[in-house]
Amino acid sequence: MKKRIFALFLAALMILSLASCGKKEESEDIVLRMAWWGSQTRHDRTVQVIEMYEKEHPNVKIEYEFYSFDDYFTKLKTLVASDQVWDVFQLGGNFPEYMDKIYFLNEFIKSGVVDTKNISDAYLKITQDTDGNQIGLSNGLNTYGIAYDVDMFKAAGVPLPTDTWTWDDYADAARKIKAATGHFGSSGFTSSEFIAGCSTYIGQQGALGENGFFNLELTGMGFKDAQMLAPYIQMRADLIKEGASPDAGAEMEITNIENDFLVTGEAGMTWVAVNQFPTIYDICAKEGRTLALATLPRVSKDGNSGSVIQSSQMLCVSKDSEHKQAAAEFISWFQNSTECNDVLQGERGIPINDNVRKSLTANATPGQQVMYDYVSLVGTFKTPDKINVLSPSGQDQVVDLYRNYIQQVAKGEITAAEAADLTYKAAEAIFK
Amino acid sequence: MNKFKKFIYNDNTVGYVFALPFIFGFLCFSLVPMVTSLYYSFTDYSLGTKSASFVGLSNFARLFTDDIFIKSLGITLKYVLISVPLKLAFALFVAFLLTRKSKAVTLYRSLYYIPSLVGGSIAVALVWKQIFARKGLINSVLDGFGLSAINWFGDEKLALFPLILMSVWQFGSSMIIFAAGLKEIPTSYYEAAMIDGAGGWKKFLKITLPCLSPIILYNLIMQTISAFMAFTQAFVITQGGPNNGTMMYALYVYNQAFKYNNMGYACSMSWVMLVVMSIITLVIFKSSKFWVFSEADS
Amino acid sequence: MKTRKHISTLLYHLFVLAFGFCMVYPVLWMISGSFKGNAEILRGGLNLIPKDFVGTNYSTGWRGFSGISFKTFFMNSAFITSIATLGTMLSSAFVAYALSRIKFKGRGLWFSCMIATMMLPGQVIMIPSYLIWYRLGLTSTYVPLILPYFCGQAFFIYQMMQFMKGIPRELDEAARIDGCSKYGIFGRIIFPLLKPSIITTVIIQFYWKWDDYMGPLLYLNRPKQYTVSIAIKLFADSASTTDYGAMFAMSSLSLIPVFLIFLIFNRYLVEGIGTSGLKG
Repeated sequence: MKKRIFALFLAALMILSLASCGKKEESEDIVLRMAWWGSQTRHDRTVQVIEMYEKEHPNVKIEYEFYSFDDYFTKLKTLVASDQVWDVFQLGGNFPEYMDKIYFLNEFIKSGVVDTKNISDAYLKITQDTDGNQIGLSNGLNTYGIAYDVDMFKAAGVPLPTDTWTWDDYADAARKIKAATGHFGSSGFTSSEFIAGCSTYIGQQGALGENGFFNLELTGMGFKDAQMLAPYIQMRADLIKEGASPDAGAEMEITNIENDFLVTGEAGMTWVAVNQFPTIYDICAKEGRTLALATLPRVSKDGNSGSVIQSSQMLCVSKDSEHKQAAAEFISWFQNSTECNDVLQGERGIPINDNVRKSLTANATPGQQVMYDYVSLVGTFKTPDKINVLSPSGQDQVVDLYRNYIQQVAKGEITAAEAADLTYKAAEAIFK
Repeated sequence: MNKFKKFIYNDNTVGYVFALPFIFGFLCFSLVPMVTSLYYSFTDYSLGTKSASFVGLSNFARLFTDDIFIKSLGITLKYVLISVPLKLAFALFVAFLLTRKSKAVTLYRSLYYIPSLVGGSIAVALVWKQIFARKGLINSVLDGFGLSAINWFGDEKLALFPLILMSVWQFGSSMIIFAAGLKEIPTSYYEAAMIDGAGGWKKFLKITLPCLSPIILYNLIMQTISAFMAFTQAFVITQGGPNNGTMMYALYVYNQAFKYNNMGYACSMSWVMLVVMSIITLVIFKSSKFWVFSEADS
Repeated sequence: MKTRKHISTLLYHLFVLAFGFCMVYPVLWMISGSFKGNAEILRGGLNLIPKDFVGTNYSTGWRGFSGISFKTFFMNSAFITSIATLGTMLSSAFVAYALSRIKFKGRGLWFSCMIATMMLPGQVIMIPSYLIWYRLGLTSTYVPLILPYFCGQAFFIYQMMQFMKGIPRELDEAARIDGCSKYGIFGRIIFPLLKPSIITTVIIQFYWKWDDYMGPLLYLNRPKQYTVSIAIKLFADSASTTDYGAMFAMSSLSLIPVFLIFLIFNRYLVEGIGTSGLKG
């Protein structure tokens, strides 16, 4: 018996040591490690273009990894801890956290390794820090908007949103839809709401560029009076209390944008990051409903829009990389090659390269067309010279607290003024 | 040679030879991470920036002023106190129910074990949400009885119950262990009791329970520890909401460590909880002297 | 008398079946979801019969990602899981024997250490553990996923210890008189008599390991190495779209191996309950 167990143990150890072999690297070739998050479509298409690239560059081999969103960041954090971040990696708006690991593209742009001929300055700027360092190249343009169900607006007798509608119009529409249809006027309480609603609301007040939720350097708050938040919080809480917006329980039933109450036909509006719009447009179109995109409401008709064009995500070169130039070269190809983007099909967002974008818009689906038009519209809005495309590390904590405060106001446990103070204090605390 | 033999058969040698796999694994793979996390608990280590400077006891001091931590402590205790007894009673009941000698029992036991095989998958989270949704199964049943619907996930006092129910629902591993324990009880005991004219209930109290007590102790301790560590249900279903009403301690640790980037703080929280859990486990161990019947020691 | 017994048997079966149905309902819903379209799943209807039968979820799901099909993922999971389960079973029995039957110095200390390993949340241990394997140069291999399982798992060590308590010490004594050493007692007496406990270990550990995704996520780097547990999560991306149909289809398939293991080993637990007693 003992012998047999021992033999089994030995056999197992042998298999283990076999499994640990086979990670030899070819010495002459450049091996780039790359990773991204996304869906099945994205994985398939990205791997396809990687193979294209390897064919064109026989000395480059790309070892790729892909994960779902949450897993990607768990993995990234372990790699940060062990200084082995992928050569080319994908980052969204939360990149200040990883700033220590990002190798700026400045020198590669100067030397021409990264081709920016057909990328406008405005679109390079969306992935720059306030000192003008090029953090990465954006995979796609993005901005926030309010998606709405045209028929539900008509049924409730509410005028359709204009480009300069206000928060009062918004709240009014939500209430009327609730009264006329019994459905939520405005749904969605996802993380989009904090940036699209709360943070935008601050930027809309005062002169252009005077206020922002956080300051440009991300070292503190970008506005002084916490009470500037109060009317917005009051409005959100009132809508929840009146049943015109989902309460905490209803909100929990939303797992992602695809089963938002707008999509299931139980709400008239919702917040969206516009790159998600084509998906929900198509779902609703199949059921014979038409969705449209409205701009974010303003504090006053002739006030600031508060909207900015942002980057949905970008590709960066890591400081841990031994082949930074080769990595930058790949990124340049990924964003600029029309062949590559014909395969990718703008699945990550609206491409920043003018030629690529033109060739894609030529055969856009109706939903994509609405998105393209919307992004061009927002592009015409006046924006401050300096904008902050970053969100500070620790913002998630503020968002979580802020959401709870709104719920507490809706339940009458605290007042909107108190909630504004508490949110402000929580946000300040992350800089200490 | 004799000396060598004496050494080899010495209790200390035998003990260490057999315990070697654990000791090796503990020293190599568990001890260092544990000590590291203890060290982190005195620093402001954050996963993004990697720098860790010593901050003394301030993480621990902060715990006592952190409303969410204090709230999560209460919620976790409530979860443990309700879910563990329920789950164990249920597992024992079903295991006992399924000791009948019948071909069908194999099928039945599979039926009851399946829920434990799906774990905390997204699919199950979705259906669980759906069952307790505003227009979900439970509320339509309530409606059928003329009762008003309950907003399970909208009320912070109620939101914990769907999670508790889900944990009870996955009672399979405890049931299997109980079943194995029941199998070990010698038939002769029952036969002797039959001759004494004991009824079914009496047999259960006088024979089954005492013989099973080491296994009950085991399940009690393990389920208590794992209930303290419960994470998946809250993570996939409620994300801690509403208003932190389901913010279990392990979920809060996760949020602090990975979402909010306060690894140092998360570590200090974990160590405080380790002490709390150790005390509770110790109390259970000490109490076991009074109610656990051990064949080997008697 | 006879009819009464029949009725009570019938009631028993009815009760157990009806209740069992409630228990598996969520699982059945998942399986039926694998034949529904995305929209129907998200509507959240609790019906088990799909309104529109969709048969393509299994084929789209099985196709996997970028040319790597679920066959690869299943093979990887099967390999890691079976070896780790074997390791857990053997090493835990060894350690349990030492801790429950041998009086050696430091026994209490090691027992406490063992219980303590279960009390820190994985989230805070994860990164330091990863760094150890990284320094050993073993990340991106299966070693970190398998080797620790050959060092005993606290949950099962303690379980086996409790079962050993049920094995009468007279058996040890008798064997000793027959000239058996403490090593021999383990091989000849304890290990064979531990069968029910070992079977539960196999059933539970197999499932846990199969379901585990944190480990594979941290230590595996290439999509070809991924396990089923990671691959299923690839369908769900909170930042873009989720293919629920395909995910449910693959989740349902992923139940089959764990369920088979259960069926195979469960037989031994049911067979002759109450007949194979030690003293009987």
